[in-house]
Amino acid sequence: MKTIRSRRVRETLGRVARYTLLRGLALAVTVIIAVYLTVVIANMGGKVDDIRRGMIKESIAMMVLANEELRKMPAEERQAVLLEMEQLEVERQGLNRPFIVRSFEYLWTALTLDLGRASYISSDSGSRQVRLILLERLSPTLLLWATAQIMIFFIALFFALILSSRYGSFFDKLVIMLAPTSAAPGWFYGLFLILIFAAVLKLLPFGGLVDAPPPQGFWPYSLSVLKHLVLPVAAQFMSGLFLLIYSWRTFFLIYSSEDYVEMAKAKGLPGGLIERRYVLRPTLPYIITNFMLMLIQVWMGGIILETVFNWPGLGRLLYSAIRLSDTSVIVGSVVLYAYLLAITVFLLDIIYAIVDPRVRIGAEGGKA
Amino acid sequence: MMAVNANSNANAKTNAGAGTDAYAIFRLENLQLYFNTRIGPVQAVDGVSFSLASGRTLALVGESGCGKSSLGRAILRLLPRNVHTYKGSIFLNGTDVMTYSNERFRRQVRWVRMALVPQAAMNALNPVVKVEDQVAEPLLVHQRVKNKAEAYSRAYEIFKVLGLPQDFLNRYAFELSGGMRQRAAIAMALVMHPELIVLDEPTSALDLLTQSNIMNVLKKVKWEFKSTFILITHDIATASELADDVAVMYAGQLVEKADARLFYDDPLHPYSRKLMASVPTLRKDKKLEFIPGQPPSLINPPKGCRFADRCELRHERCAAEPPMVTLPDGRQAKCWLVEQKAREQHA
Repeated sequence: MKTIRSRRVRETLGRVARYTLLRGLALAVTVIIAVYLTVVIANMGGKVDDIRRGMIKESIAMMVLANEELRKMPAEERQAVLLEMEQLEVERQGLNRPFIVRSFEYLWTALTLDLGRASYISSDSGSRQVRLILLERLSPTLLLWATAQIMIFFIALFFALILSSRYGSFFDKLVIMLAPTSAAPGWFYGLFLILIFAAVLKLLPFGGLVDAPPPQGFWPYSLSVLKHLVLPVAAQFMSGLFLLIYSWRTFFLIYSSEDYVEMAKAKGLPGGLIERRYVLRPTLPYIITNFMLMLIQVWMGGIILETVFNWPGLGRLLYSAIRLSDTSVIVGSVVLYAYLLAITVFLLDIIYAIVDPRVRIGAEGGKA
Repeated sequence: MMAVNANSNANAKTNAGAGTDAYAIFRLENLQLYFNTRIGPVQAVDGVSFSLASGRTLALVGESGCGKSSLGRAILRLLPRNVHTYKGSIFLNGTDVMTYSNERFRRQVRWVRMALVPQAAMNALNPVVKVEDQVAEPLLVHQRVKNKAEAYSRAYEIFKVLGLPQDFLNRYAFELSGGMRQRAAIAMALVMHPELIVLDEPTSALDLLTQSNIMNVLKKVKWEFKSTFILITHDIATASELADDVAVMYAGQLVEKADARLFYDDPLHPYSRKLMASVPTLRKDKKLEFIPGQPPSLINPPKGCRFADRCELRHERCAAEPPMVTLPDGRQAKCWLVEQKAREQHA
């Protein structure tokens, strides 16, 4: 018995290691392809180079206007100096080499998280470093979206499990009735919430992350952030909660009519144990998938909701970067997203293997 | 414990063959189970009564949709969401467990006194919980053992009897073949040594060879544990291997109940006769028959005899519902012709 078990454990470990390695490789390739595509698209396939050349010319022409010495030069000599300056600037930015070569350099710097400098956008502390800009925006995004979405996810799961065993009850019907509220997005409810609680009742701030000027000390600061969090989180709750409860409830309803759940009832197991071991556990991989997908969405925040609430998050950053064609910021945020996504999916694969014996052992393996 | 069971093998045979006056461990009285549907209540089980002696096996036969599986579920109070009516009495060793609250029923009856071997055991085992945990689970929940180790060792014992390799306990359901899963389901039902085990089509999802294997396992269990079975099946031929009594269901009602030997020789009810005539036999040369027509709808069943429409022996009395008549040899049937025969014998 002992030896059989240890052999099985060894086999399982080997399989999991092989599986993990393969998945890691596949994800790495995916990330590389995705980042390269982003580099090409954000540079409009090289068209951005022309824009930048034009801008170099323009800035040099402007410089001439401001420079007394240059203006006094003979036209031919001046032309030569200008050409030289232009050449120098083009070389400094690397525009003299073909785009295809540089695209791979960009890919490499992006993948090594050497995200470079932004052309137009700067961080609140005044830095042009894309890495610093992104890091500065990441935490408010995580704060807002993770707080709301994780709370919504678990609250929905909890109520769904309760409702699935109270099929047809008043609350069940109420949730079904309220599910269409999710047809409207969070920012839509946000507008109303701002109108009611900020404009009319003057209870909560209109938007932003923290009061201006920011309060000193940890607790006053946190309290101020919390106050600013209430409305955007509430907006997400209103748009997300009921549909999620409804869909999880239906999901649990389907899985609680499985034969093995019926058998668990026949075995006289108490209700709580049936829910945990016979409904939640077999469906755990699916629940985790959904949780991870939710997290992936959280990484990026939301453009409109952040704009409505004037929230300094990644969504709003991406929006202004696209508007300004700030290539390095676009590429930087996509690289960040790609990495976070890949890590999430990779973790998901490992967690799958841990929680689901059908994946861990391999459905065809060891059949008697 | 196993030793005791092995010693009692010798007298198990005589015990199982004992007459109908043996102690009735299980008795149903006028059990009804109706389901709600959009067009009205379906009378899936409509006033079924019978009793079953300890250590005997009752084969509950009938065609699909006659309510036999619903009856099995009703006995264990495994009801779907759309129950319309659920009433009657279920006596288990003299106590009516229908009067128990749901919680008391769960604690004191389910698996402690009555267990179930389900149809299609493929899906009856939790795919993500090891077989040993599922087999040992009732022992722990119903506090029959002190710790997990003891529960597992009980599970091993049962596995040994059923001819299951011990390392199967440490596996998951998807690693077992259909026959092995069915054995594991049987092991699960036996682990608490319940007074009654309901076998709901235990072999119908299996191939022929595995079917006969499982039937042999069940026969062995019957001798070794002296178990009382209710075997629900549509397969009259296979049922004959295990049955001591046979009950025939038609359209939600019991139409005949008799000792197996008497039933297989000479079924009383016209429906039972037709049913037997449709089963091929090895030794006799016979022309297989079929029953014309369809069973009646259970939503609005006919007033009189429910089989009347398909019966060749139909006459004017069939418009009224026939009583369940008991013949002197203990056979029972719900038919006016049998009632007439009983009166003639009496006179």
